[in-house]
Amino acid sequence: MDIKELTSLETSGKKTIQELTIAGIIFVFFIIPWIIPSFRVMDVLAKIMIFTIAVASFDLLLGYTGILSFAHGMFFGIGAYSIALILYHSDTPSGYHIFLAAGASIAISVVISLMISFFSLRVKAIFFAMLTLALAEFAHILGVQWSDLTGGADGISFTLPGIFNFGQTLGTLFNTQINGRLMVYYFILVIAVFLFTGMLRFIHSPLGRVLKAIRENEQRTIALGYKTFRYQTCSIVFSACIASLSGILFAMWLCYVNPDSVFHTAIMVNILLMVLIGGMGTLYGSLIGAGFFIVTENWLPGLLKSIAGLASDSVILANMADRWQLYFGILFVLVVIFFPKGVIGTFRVILDRRHQLHSS
Amino acid sequence: MKTDTLKFQTRNRPFQQYAGWIIGIGLFLLPLIQMDLTTYLTLTVAGISLGMLIFLIASGLTLIFGLMDVLNLAHAAFFAFGAYAGFTVLNLLNNAGWIDTASLAQSLFYLALALGAAGLAGGGLGILTEKIVIKRVYGNHLMQLLVTVGVSFVIVELLKMIWGVNDEVVPVPMGFQDAFIIFGVFIEYFRVVAIFLGITIFAILQYILKQTKLGIIVRAGVENQEIVKATGYNISWIFTLVFAAGSALAAIGGTMMAIFNQAVDPGMGNQFLIFALIVVIIGGLGSVTGSFVGAVIVGLSFNYVAFLWPKMALGVNFMIMAIILLIRPKGLFGKD
Amino acid sequence: MTRVPVIETPAIETRQLSIQFGGHIAVNCLDLKVAPHCLKSIIGPNGAGKTTLFNLISGQYTPTSGNILFNGRDITRMGVADRTRLGIGRSFQLTNIFPSLTVLENVRLALQAKENVGMVFWRHYKAYPKLSEHAYELLKQVMLADKHRFMASLLTHGEQRKLEIAILLALDPDVLLLDEPTAGMSLEDVPAILDIIQGIKETKTRTILLVEHKFDMIMALSDSIAVLQEGRVICDDTPDAVSNNEKVLEAYLGGGVTHA
Ligand SMILES: Nc1ncnc2c1ncn2[C@@H]1O[C@H](COP(=O)(O)OP(=O)(O)OP(=O)(O)O)[C@@H](O)[C@H]1O
Ligand SMILES: [Mg+2]
Repeated sequence: MDIKELTSLETSGKKTIQELTIAGIIFVFFIIPWIIPSFRVMDVLAKIMIFTIAVASFDLLLGYTGILSFAHGMFFGIGAYSIALILYHSDTPSGYHIFLAAGASIAISVVISLMISFFSLRVKAIFFAMLTLALAEFAHILGVQWSDLTGGADGISFTLPGIFNFGQTLGTLFNTQINGRLMVYYFILVIAVFLFTGMLRFIHSPLGRVLKAIRENEQRTIALGYKTFRYQTCSIVFSACIASLSGILFAMWLCYVNPDSVFHTAIMVNILLMVLIGGMGTLYGSLIGAGFFIVTENWLPGLLKSIAGLASDSVILANMADRWQLYFGILFVLVVIFFPKGVIGTFRVILDRRHQLHSS
Repeated sequence: MKTDTLKFQTRNRPFQQYAGWIIGIGLFLLPLIQMDLTTYLTLTVAGISLGMLIFLIASGLTLIFGLMDVLNLAHAAFFAFGAYAGFTVLNLLNNAGWIDTASLAQSLFYLALALGAAGLAGGGLGILTEKIVIKRVYGNHLMQLLVTVGVSFVIVELLKMIWGVNDEVVPVPMGFQDAFIIFGVFIEYFRVVAIFLGITIFAILQYILKQTKLGIIVRAGVENQEIVKATGYNISWIFTLVFAAGSALAAIGGTMMAIFNQAVDPGMGNQFLIFALIVVIIGGLGSVTGSFVGAVIVGLSFNYVAFLWPKMALGVNFMIMAIILLIRPKGLFGKD
Repeated sequence: MTRVPVIETPAIETRQLSIQFGGHIAVNCLDLKVAPHCLKSIIGPNGAGKTTLFNLISGQYTPTSGNILFNGRDITRMGVADRTRLGIGRSFQLTNIFPSLTVLENVRLALQAKENVGMVFWRHYKAYPKLSEHAYELLKQVMLADKHRFMASLLTHGEQRKLEIAILLALDPDVLLLDEPTAGMSLEDVPAILDIIQGIKETKTRTILLVEHKFDMIMALSDSIAVLQEGRVICDDTPDAVSNNEKVLEAYLGGGVTHA
C-alpha cells in the first residue's frame, strides 16, 4: 500500500464523476436563461440557488454538528433586511452598498450566533431548540412591530445599484435581453458557487472532521482532547454567516422584504423540509431538497387547481387544492418517519453497502 | 445508569432561595413607582388572569415533556385547533340566539360546553397524532422535534382548509361582558373564571403527579417499556392518554384564549407558543410548578410593561428569560 | 517482602478519593500512587470500582471528595479534554469509537487532536498527509491496516478493541489507562496486544495503569498490583506478594469470582 493511495483515502474514481456532475449542474444554471427565456423559469432557478445555500448552511448545523436551531431562518432574515435597509436609506445606491450589507449582516450574525452558542453550552439540546424557536418568533414580531426601522408588516422595497438595476437594459445577445435582472441572476450564481465551495471546504477541513466526530460520539471526541464547545461554536457562527449571505441574495432577487417573507417560522419549516428531503449531513442533498421544494411550490398549486377545476362545483375539492402546503406537511412527516436519511443519504447507504461488499 | 457525567449534588442553600423570592416579589412591586394603586391592582389582576391562560397552554407542553420526555412542537397547533373547536360551539349557540341574553350562570354553562368540546376535540386529535406519528419517535429527541414541526404544519393547514384563512370574531356569552368592582378595581368576570380554571388545573395536575402512581408508571415506561408491560400496565395506551391529556389542555387553553381575545385565526398558535415557550424555559422543562410560576411572571410583567411602554412588553419577557437562564440554566424549578 | 520504591513524584496519585452514586459509594477514600514509567495493574472482583477509578482519573466523573494529582499537579477539577491534552489517555472497557467513520479516520482524528490542527477550517484535511500515514502505521501495529477503509462499525468486536488501542497510541499519552484491553478478543489476537503493552513498558517513558482479569497476563507484565475491593485498596504490592496475600485470596473467593 503506498502513500498516494492512502492520502486519497475515500476513492478516486468517484471523485472525478462528482466533479463532472457539479460542473454540469453549474453549466445548466448558467445556460438555461438563454435556452428558455422565461421569467418564471429564471425565478425558480434563482430561488433554487439561494435556498440551496440557505439549506446547506442549515445542514452544516443540523447534519454535521447535530444542533437543531430554529433561529437559523432568522439569520436569513437578518441578511435580507441588512441589504434592504442599507439600499433603501442610501440616496444613491452603489455597488459598495452590497459589500456594506454583507459586512453588516455578517457582523450582526456573528454577535447573535455567539450569544446563541453561549446559551447552548449551558442548556440541553432540547432546551436549546425551544430557546431558538422563541428567539425566531421574537425576531418575526420585532420585524412587524419595530416599524420605524423595518417598515412593519408592509415591508420595504428598494432598487439595486448599477448594472443590477432591474429597469436597465444593457443590450441583447443571442435573442436574450441582458438586463439588470439577468445580471443579478449571474451574480447569485457566482456567489452561490463560491459559498457552496466554501462550505464543502469547511466540512472537509480538519475542523469539519471534528464536527462529524462530535455528531457520532461526543463523549469520545472530548476524550480525544477536543474541546467540543469551541468546535460547535465555530459551526454555529459559520453557518449563521452563510445563512445571512443567502438572505442578501434573496432580498436582491425580490428587491423587497417583509417580515413574513424572511422571518416567518414557515420559512424555517420549509428549510427543514428541504434538508430532510435531500438528507441531513450530505450538503449536496441541499440542492435536491431545494430543487424539489421550489419546483413543486411553483407548479403544484396550479396543477391542483386544474385538477380541482375538472369538478368545478366542488367547494371541498377547491379548498383542498388551495391548501397545497398541507401536502408538504404530510410529506414532511412521512420523510422524517420513513426516510430519515433523505435522498442523498439513502443513496449513500446503498453505495456504502456495495463498496463494503466489494472490499471484503 | 446511562449517564456518563455526574454532576455535583447541589447543596441546599435556604438563604439564597429565600432571597430569590424576596427580590422577585420586590421587582413586582416596582411598577408602583410609575402608577397609582388602582391601576396597579387592575393590571395585576389582568396579569394574573393572562398568566393563568398562558399556564393552561404551557401546562400541556410541560405535562407531555415532564412525563414522556417528548417535546411537542405541535402544541401550538393543538392550541389553535382547540380555539376553533370552542369557537364553533359558541358560534352554534350564537346562531341559536342564546349567547346575547345569557346570564352569568348560563354563560358559565356555555363556556363549559365550549371547553368540553375543545377538550374532546383536542384530546381526540392527540390520540390520533400519538397513535399515528409520535409513538414511532419515542426516545429520539431530534426526530420528535422534526416530526412535531411537520404535524403542526399539517394541522394548521387543515384548520385553514376547514375554517378558512381569515380572522373570525368569537361570540362571547353576555354574562362575561360584565364586571364587578372591588376597592375601585374593575374586574371582569371572565378573568375570575380564567384564574379559577388555571388554579384548578394546576391543583389537579399536582395531585395526579404527586399523589398517584401515574407519574412513576409513565416515567418507568420511558426508561423501559418491557418491564412496565410485564407488570400488567398497558403502557402504550397510558402514553397515548397522557399525550391526549396534554393536547386537551392545549385545546382548552385555546378556547379560553379565543374568548379572551374575542377572535381566532389560523396563525394564533404561533403567537402564543412564544409565551408558552418562555414560560416553560423560565420555569424549567417538565416542572408543572415551574410553569405555573413562570406563567404568572410572564403574565404580570407583560401587563405592567405593556401599560408603561407598550412596545417593550415582549422584549421584557425575553430579557427575563435570558436573565433567569444566566442565573439558573435549568430554569427556576428545573431538575437536571 | 520487596516493595517497589517510590522515590520520584508519582505520575498519578489519588488522595482520599471518593465518589458516591446516590447512596452507593463506588470508590471509598482511595489512596493510590503510581510510580512514573512503571506498569501498575488494578485487579478486583466485578463492581469493585476499577472502571469508576479510571473515570475519575480521566475526568469523566467528578469526585465527591478527595484529590487527583498528575505529576504532582492537582487536576481534580480539570475537564476531560484538558486531561487528555495534558497526557492522560485511556481506552474504554465498553468499546467507544466512532462507528460510522472509517477505521483510519478514527485514528487520524486522535492524531489530529494531538497535533492541534483541529481548529483549521480553511485547508483540506488531506493537506496533512503525515497524519494519515502515521495513522496507517499505527493500524499496522495493531494489525488492522488491511481494514483501514472499513467503517468502524463493521469490525468484529475484537477488531474494535484493537482500534481502541490504536486510538490510544495515537494520542501518545504519558499515562495510559487500559481498561480490560483484551476483553472479548479472540485468543490468537491477545499476544499481539500483550506485545504492544510490553513494548510500551520497555521504552520506560510511559506510565501504564492496567485493569485486567487475565491473571497470568498481569503477573507477567506488572511492576506492581493494586487490589480493589468495594472501592478500597486492600493490597498494593509486587506481583509475588499480591499472589500470596491472604486478604486478596479471600476477597476473590469471598466475592465468589473465580479466575483462570
Ligand atoms: N454512573 C454510575 N451511576 C451509578 N452507579 C455507578 C455508576 N458507575 C458505576 N457505578 C457503580 O459503581 C460500582 C463500581 O463499578 P465499576 O464499573 O467501577 O466496577 P468494575 O470494578 O469496573 O467492575 P467490572 O470488573 O465489572 O468492570 C458498581 O456497583 C456500579 O454499579
Ligand atoms: Mg470495569
